[in-house]
Amino acid sequence: MGIAETYSRGREFAIERPFALVLGVIAAVLLGDLLLGLATGQTQFADIGTLVWDGLMRGLVIGLAGIGLSMTYSILNFANFAHGDYITAGAFSGWATTYLIAGLGRADIGALLLVGAGGSVYGGTIGIGMLSTPLAVVAGIVVAGAFAIALSLGVDRFIFKPVRNEDGITLLITSIGVAFALRYLMQFVFGSDVRGTTAQPPSIGLYLIDGTVFIDAHDITLLVIASGLMIGVHLLLQRTKLGKAMRAMADNQDLALITGIPTERVVRSTWIIGGGLTGIAGYMFILWKGTLGFNDGWLLLLLIFAAVILGGIGSIYGAITGGLVIGLTASMAVLWIPSAFARAAAFVVMIVILLVKPSGLFSGRSTA
Amino acid sequence: MSVDANTDATSGAGVEDRNDVLLRVRNLDAGYGDLQILTDVDMDVFDGEYVTIVGPNGAGKSTTMKSVFGLTAHMGGSVQFQDEDITGRRPEEIIHVGIGYVPQNDNVFPTLTVEENLEMGAYILDEVPQDAIRAVYDRFPILEERKHQKAGTMSGGQQQMLAMGRALMLDPDLLLLDEPSAGLAPDLVDEMFDKIDEINEAGTAILMVEQNAKEALRRCDRGYVLANGQNRYMDRGSALLEDEQVRQDFLGG
Repeated sequence: MGIAETYSRGREFAIERPFALVLGVIAAVLLGDLLLGLATGQTQFADIGTLVWDGLMRGLVIGLAGIGLSMTYSILNFANFAHGDYITAGAFSGWATTYLIAGLGRADIGALLLVGAGGSVYGGTIGIGMLSTPLAVVAGIVVAGAFAIALSLGVDRFIFKPVRNEDGITLLITSIGVAFALRYLMQFVFGSDVRGTTAQPPSIGLYLIDGTVFIDAHDITLLVIASGLMIGVHLLLQRTKLGKAMRAMADNQDLALITGIPTERVVRSTWIIGGGLTGIAGYMFILWKGTLGFNDGWLLLLLIFAAVILGGIGSIYGAITGGLVIGLTASMAVLWIPSAFARAAAFVVMIVILLVKPSGLFSGRSTA
Repeated sequence: MSVDANTDATSGAGVEDRNDVLLRVRNLDAGYGDLQILTDVDMDVFDGEYVTIVGPNGAGKSTTMKSVFGLTAHMGGSVQFQDEDITGRRPEEIIHVGIGYVPQNDNVFPTLTVEENLEMGAYILDEVPQDAIRAVYDRFPILEERKHQKAGTMSGGQQQMLAMGRALMLDPDLLLLDEPSAGLAPDLVDEMFDKIDEINEAGTAILMVEQNAKEALRRCDRGYVLANGQNRYMDRGSALLEDEQVRQDFLGG
């Protein structure tokens, strides 16, 4: 009787939600494979720890960079494809500052300002790092944020604002145009080579069962700054008058106008906050991975879009959560598949989550 | 009782000789984009008065109200509020003069809490007026019970009360209500009208558009009947209810 009931219930479940069943089977197979690898010593716990840590860091970068994208989406109803190049622009401006401060007197100023274009000067040679040149890094972070703010305000004022009342496709294509223009302008100025930006930062090894997980100073810097900014945005949105007005506007722009919320000023604040976070995310991304190229932001943008869509586009909490999911997936996928497919795996996870929850994890919560 | 000239529209209940006029609309032409909806509309609301606009669909009832609040394209005529010319001003300026507006649909911020919605109602003030929030809670106790709940998760009637509460946060002299009973269950409709009576009795003048014309005319001081974007009748609510022509043409017999 008991078995028959369990069986029939199982059959009902399989018929009603075949998709969930398939997912469950796949998850079980992956987990089994992982356990088998651990049991036979083919996979080490420390490897997993390293990948989780790496994924967490990647997720923080994606999440931080995704907040700005999500904000402009929810308040201006527009998916800004130039966002990735705001990230790169923030990174170049910040790193030019860092190079200049760290390398002043030791290298040609022009070469420093161009972030060592054409191999004229190397970040590693100047010894750039959070612990070795803290002032240069902090100044770089500030400049990256400030420059991205100025850039997003300028682009909004002169390019997006005139077409803001056109339909969504016009804005979208305009933003793609801005993206290309920015990207190749940066390639023209800074060159197309990928340069190393930091000296090897000191790290600590954490013992984990069968090996060591290394955590370096730049990981910690990223963790502190990204989580600090995320908490800051949360408090801003929940506690301040401006934050509440931003959420109100994301909810219902017409009503916001009727209640006397100065909508243009809120739009400007959105670009300022979103732009600042984006620029800083760009800088931290480079500090963490140690290399800088003109394509970095654009390549990251696809993962950021995956993250914000996965989280429920328009929600900053969705962007953060989605960023962590995408980051962890992209890193941990190498446990099962060749690393060349890691990015693809992130998108597969996005599609699977959207199939289960079509409007995203934090759907309908807009900025809240 | 039918009116052709605008002067007739306003002289019906002897309103010209009153000197406590709050809102005075004269010869208003307005619409959306290039489309004109209102032609020569006249309307008055006096201090503390309760005025209803009724009429068939597409008569321009809501458009009249939106025009007062600066939400339409102004094409001619004037809108005066307390001796101030507010013709063609934008909504963000008009809330400063003492007019509150409750739109028919989408009149709360769904992901904000009840209390945050009320705070948004007083956005133009530097500080959140705690006494105004207190007054709204006293008038609508259900809102206090649910002050931390997201507005979008409340029932239609509760959202309507929240929308009114939000519009009352600046203690307006005139409250514009666009179909407050739309979409409410029958027992809630009465409660809603009772609340509007209370707000009016507390001294706030009401200009209301209502689909539920008979009940609205029973409760109001004065009513306007609009059709095709023009004034048709104006009189005390009870007089309009008794008027054979009005009953036949506009109140379904």
